[in-house]
Amino acid sequence: MLTQQMLQQKNLLLSWAAIQFSLLLLLQQAFAGWVIAIFALLLLYRLLSVFRAKAAISLKLVNVLAGIIAITFFLQLQQAGVLHFMLQILLLAATARLLALQHLYEARQLVWVHYFLIACCFILHQDMLIAVFILLVFAVNLYSHYRLFSPSVSQVNWSQTGRSLLIILPLWLAMFLLFPRLPPFWQIPNANIASTGLSDTLDPGSIEQLVQDDSLAFRVEFDGALPPRQQLYWRARLYEDFDGRRWQVNALRQNASRQRAADTATDSSLSYRIIAEASQQTGLFALATPVSSSSNVFISPSGLLSSNKPVSQRLSYQVSSSLAPVTLVAEQEQLLNLRTAPGNPQTQQFAYQLKQQYPQSHDLVQALAEHFRQQPFYYSLTPPPLGSNSIDAFLFDSRTGFCSHYASASAVILRHAGIAARVVGGYQGGNWHPQQGYLAVRQREAHAWVEYLHNGVWQPFDPTAAVAPERILDSLDSALPEAQRALLDPGWRQLAILQNVRQQLMHLDYYWSVWVLGFDDTSQRQLWRNLYRHLPAIAYSVAALFSIIIVLLLYYRLTQSGTDNTPQATKQLYRYMGKALATKPPSLPVSAFLLQCAKRYPAHDVCLKQLTALYEQALYKEDAEALNQLKQLLKCHKAELGRLRRAIKNA
Amino acid sequence: MPNLTLKQRLYQRYWQLLSRYLDKRQPAADKVRLVQKLIFILPTRYGWWFVLLITLLYLLGTNYQNNLILLLCYLLLSVFLVNIVLAYQNISGLTLQCKQAAEGFAGEATTAAVNLSDDKKHLMLNMHFVQPDNTNDSDTRQNETVLLSQPATTATLNLNGTKRGKYALPRIKITSQYPFGLWRAWSYIALAQHYWVYPNPDADKSAVNISSVDASQQAKTDAGETLSPYRAGDSVRHMVWKRLARDPANPVVRQQYFSAQAEPSWVVVPPLSGDALERALRYACRQLLQLEQSGSSYGLKLPALTLPQAKGPQHLQRCLQELALC
Repeated sequence: MLTQQMLQQKNLLLSWAAIQFSLLLLLQQAFAGWVIAIFALLLLYRLLSVFRAKAAISLKLVNVLAGIIAITFFLQLQQAGVLHFMLQILLLAATARLLALQHLYEARQLVWVHYFLIACCFILHQDMLIAVFILLVFAVNLYSHYRLFSPSVSQVNWSQTGRSLLIILPLWLAMFLLFPRLPPFWQIPNANIASTGLSDTLDPGSIEQLVQDDSLAFRVEFDGALPPRQQLYWRARLYEDFDGRRWQVNALRQNASRQRAADTATDSSLSYRIIAEASQQTGLFALATPVSSSSNVFISPSGLLSSNKPVSQRLSYQVSSSLAPVTLVAEQEQLLNLRTAPGNPQTQQFAYQLKQQYPQSHDLVQALAEHFRQQPFYYSLTPPPLGSNSIDAFLFDSRTGFCSHYASASAVILRHAGIAARVVGGYQGGNWHPQQGYLAVRQREAHAWVEYLHNGVWQPFDPTAAVAPERILDSLDSALPEAQRALLDPGWRQLAILQNVRQQLMHLDYYWSVWVLGFDDTSQRQLWRNLYRHLPAIAYSVAALFSIIIVLLLYYRLTQSGTDNTPQATKQLYRYMGKALATKPPSLPVSAFLLQCAKRYPAHDVCLKQLTALYEQALYKEDAEALNQLKQLLKCHKAELGRLRRAIKNA
Repeated sequence: MPNLTLKQRLYQRYWQLLSRYLDKRQPAADKVRLVQKLIFILPTRYGWWFVLLITLLYLLGTNYQNNLILLLCYLLLSVFLVNIVLAYQNISGLTLQCKQAAEGFAGEATTAAVNLSDDKKHLMLNMHFVQPDNTNDSDTRQNETVLLSQPATTATLNLNGTKRGKYALPRIKITSQYPFGLWRAWSYIALAQHYWVYPNPDADKSAVNISSVDASQQAKTDAGETLSPYRAGDSVRHMVWKRLARDPANPVVRQQYFSAQAEPSWVVVPPLSGDALERALRYACRQLLQLEQSGSSYGLKLPALTLPQAKGPQHLQRCLQELALC
């Protein structure tokens, strides 16, 4: 009986449907288009049937339907991956349950599965705002859980809820902070999501696309002061294969050995912590030559950092770098970076000339930088398209390009001049937030430059710095003309207020990622150590707090019991008609006064007589029922009592 | 009880052990207030599922090294733990009292009114009497769900009595899963009260047949004329010996229409035993009810006791109680 009534409640069904819709939205990355369409259709059907008050669909039909859909999901398993398959099946189970909901225990199962799915959303989303949204969905689910076990008539008891929250919140935080953290137990399937950030190939247009993306790539906290901007070259990729048009990461580097480089250099002049955003790539970022890092990332011999699995959620790691350039690892590396591609005859010619003029590689690079500086080269986000001999066309014809054009051309010239050179992809600079003390590096800070071999050391050379020094010293915006800057800031982003809000949100998000997402076993151990150190102080303050609370409670109790011996009924009466009763002479009993009033104001006769009768019942018979009725009556006749009061006052 | 399944037998054994423990912990009292020492709390089945959920989320969070999943997991865990307190609060402080002894006829459902009172609200309380002796308790046991939003309510609970008599009120099991159904807080309460099971006036077919005959007609018929098969407890003096000699397999007795028929305002139960006594009591019960309905005054003569003639519901109750005790 009770269960049937409960499941008839529209708002419960609607809240479940809403939860499933939001789950669908949150998990949309995990689903193909047709999967989303199927779920949306099923849910829409359910909503329609709720609004038209139709009965649930028969279980058999739903089972058959769900079976067919599950089989199609299974056939797509290869494509979707195990994790996504699991999510699909779970959501399917929840939706099918909702379609054929008939019994209370089914509703309980539904709520259970919802909890699990809501938690799974956090695998895909860790943004603060989305996390807040997910917690909201969780709260709705918790409420529906409560409704399943509470009488349908009752309201939420807010004071009890508040008191429970007061217990839950500290308990929750304490568990989060103090409960031991374990390393992963086993390998788990990862989500198949398109990767973001630098890719393994660098063609003339790839970085231009990247810089229009305003999203965050990573954030850095420095242990010391912020290094000068000219040193902020975050290396992420080495492009060593050139086919005449595009650069590619060498196959050797792609499956680079995972072993950590020996800590040969002891000079680690720069120590910093990087919080990388999810990129679904293994490649990470470091300055110059990383010497040591925290255990969750690896340093390859060529000075690149990587994690052992694609970064699917924010990753925080500590690095210390030496500012010295990267050293040559093997002879093979040099040969690899001397290979040239056919084509671009003018460039070849130019390189030979330079080589003859400047036999020393260092001089040659200087001359090349001078060439870029002296000749009319332009820095632009929208370079004209280049022909088949792209380097020739860029160097001698258009002379307008972006960092990847300059880096690519310089590396090709150096290779033709017999100097081993490669293009490095990464990020340059970043946005320093002095109050929060971190450097935010966004995708738009993506940059490409060159490293050439000199005395067994890979010297960095940034041709862009010669063309547009503002780009390096200030930011990309200052290096671009006004018209192109608009490309970076489409529409609403230019509004100052929104900009400010975005900024504040980003700072909040920073604390979120440092304190919530980045809280790991190291920080936990630190916390334990601090707690232990301040143990006496904490104990004293807790004891002091408790004693204050106890004293306050005692005081409250004493004052309460001291003054409070007016009966409940009299209190109620005074609450509603205090002002009218103020004219009562002290010798007259309340009920007698009321009867007098009734005689004097016949308009209120009925109400007052009723009141008096109930009042006497409640006061002298100590009848709880009468007290309740008295309360009700007072509440109902509030307006009438007001009129009575005015009449007494005017008389 | 011959045909009890193993499960039922085990349950009875368990209940015996438990009652021995409970009798020491909470001897029967007129008015019982649910305090900490009377309340038991353990997770429900859904609660165990919830524990599984928390474990799964912990594994998920740890494996993905995902702090947010861990946060959610700890949130659920703290909700789970706080629920112990909430479940306790929902049941504690409740005062139970059974002011009137329940009464009913054998084989019929008897209801007992239990008064519940407290200053604060209690929601979704579930109550029933624990009567493991009843073999068919699962079908007849009806749970009473009480929402206590007023300071006092009365719950009517079903009792099962198959045999007449005066019994002590069995323990009341009062359970609550209130806020989230994760924990079951329950208590077994013994109230110092008894209940009466009177002989059933309608249970026996033959008794019905007999009583359908009009009293005046009965007076006319000779006592020795009706014969009926012998049943255990029938007086040997009524045996038809001649017939027994002819057919020893089917002994027959003369059906006695007791001398009470001659004096209609007296209900008489002759000194019998066994099944015959039961039949006589059922018949007497029926007679008492009829007499009370007709408004005449009547008395009851039992082998050991005589209740003088009177009328009114209290007199009827007194008579029925004596029948139950006979």
